Amino acid sequence: LRQAPSKEAVRQLCQECFSSPPAHLGPLAQRACPGIAASPEEAAQLVSALHRLTRHVVYRGLTSPEDILDLFPEDFHQNLKNLLTKIILENISAWRNEAQASQISLPRLVDMDWRVDIKTSSDTINRMAVPTCLLQLKIQEDAALCTNSPVVSALTVELSKETLDTMLEGLGRIRDQLSAVANK
Amino acid sequence: RVPSQQFSALTEVLFRFLTEPKEVERFLTQLSDFATMNKISLGPLKNIVKSILLVPNGALKRNLSSEQVRADFIALGLSEEKASYFAEQWKVNSPTLTRLAVGQTLMINQLIDMEWRFGVTAGSSELEKVGSIFLQLKLVIKKGSQMENVYIELTLPQFYSFLHEMERVKTSLESFS
Repeated sequence: LRQAPSKEAVRQLCQECFSSPPAHLGPLAQRACPGIAASPEEAAQLVSALHRLTRHVVYRGLTSPEDILDLFPEDFHQNLKNLLTKIILENISAWRNEAQASQISLPRLVDMDWRVDIKTSSDTINRMAVPTCLLQLKIQEDAALCTNSPVVSALTVELSKETLDTMLEGLGRIRDQLSAVANK
Repeated sequence: RVPSQQFSALTEVLFRFLTEPKEVERFLTQLSDFATMNKISLGPLKNIVKSILLVPNGALKRNLSSEQVRADFIALGLSEEKASYFAEQWKVNSPTLTRLAVGQTLMINQLIDMEWRFGVTAGSSELEKVGSIFLQLKLVIKKGSQMENVYIELTLPQFYSFLHEMERVKTSLESFS
């Protein structure tokens, strides 16, 4: 890593190593090879080590410089150690968010829209004025299952006034339960 | 052709069926009991009932008043007394019948039920300690004639925003009722 062209290059490499899943480390190493390491084997080792290091810090939730510095072996180059620690600390909260966002989960709500229509007639009644709500939910499948771009599907649901009232009752209860938990 | 008392009994049977259209078996049983008790044959009775049923259905469709229903029956050849009786029954039952008809109106992907749970993510394969709250909703939706379950996860901010939007919908629906 000492051969790296610039601090920026090291920073970039750390970010890439954290973000890529183990399977993609191979290609990453090949790309890193010319600039950073002497040989393909060294590049692979480097990339793998950086990946493990960054992931470990995020996993354990380490936040202080001392904790991170302790991870390095004793004879590690001082300046490089400081640089790496600095880079890791800068990125730690972004990395944490990234880890949380890519957690396994049920399909996630990404957007919602609604409109209110008035039904004016049907095959059984010639004239009426019944308001009804159409709710469209955009749902994204579990990101971890879709390697490249997660599928977002739109589901349109119709609610009568009675259904909406019942739903609001339920949502109100959720809100009350959440405040009870928050106040404990 | 049918004496008054029996006519009112028949009317009662008819309206009970109209307000509970799913009880077909019960309706048919009551009709055949009526036929036996009054010594009328079931076939002709069924035909008469079919024509009589056309009146409330048409009345519902055209939002007729009870006066108009009475006039329709008299035009069909019913006595004034019987027509008035039927029109009265119509007046009493029409709110229920209207509500039923509206309830039967086509709905697209109707939301039938909603269940929820929320919890805390304690840890994951990437983060040893997490402590984030998630809300999981299960929506039961009627697609055509089948039920489908849809599972969604929301973050807390999303939940509050969803609640806020639904309250806006309620205000909007109420202003149109």
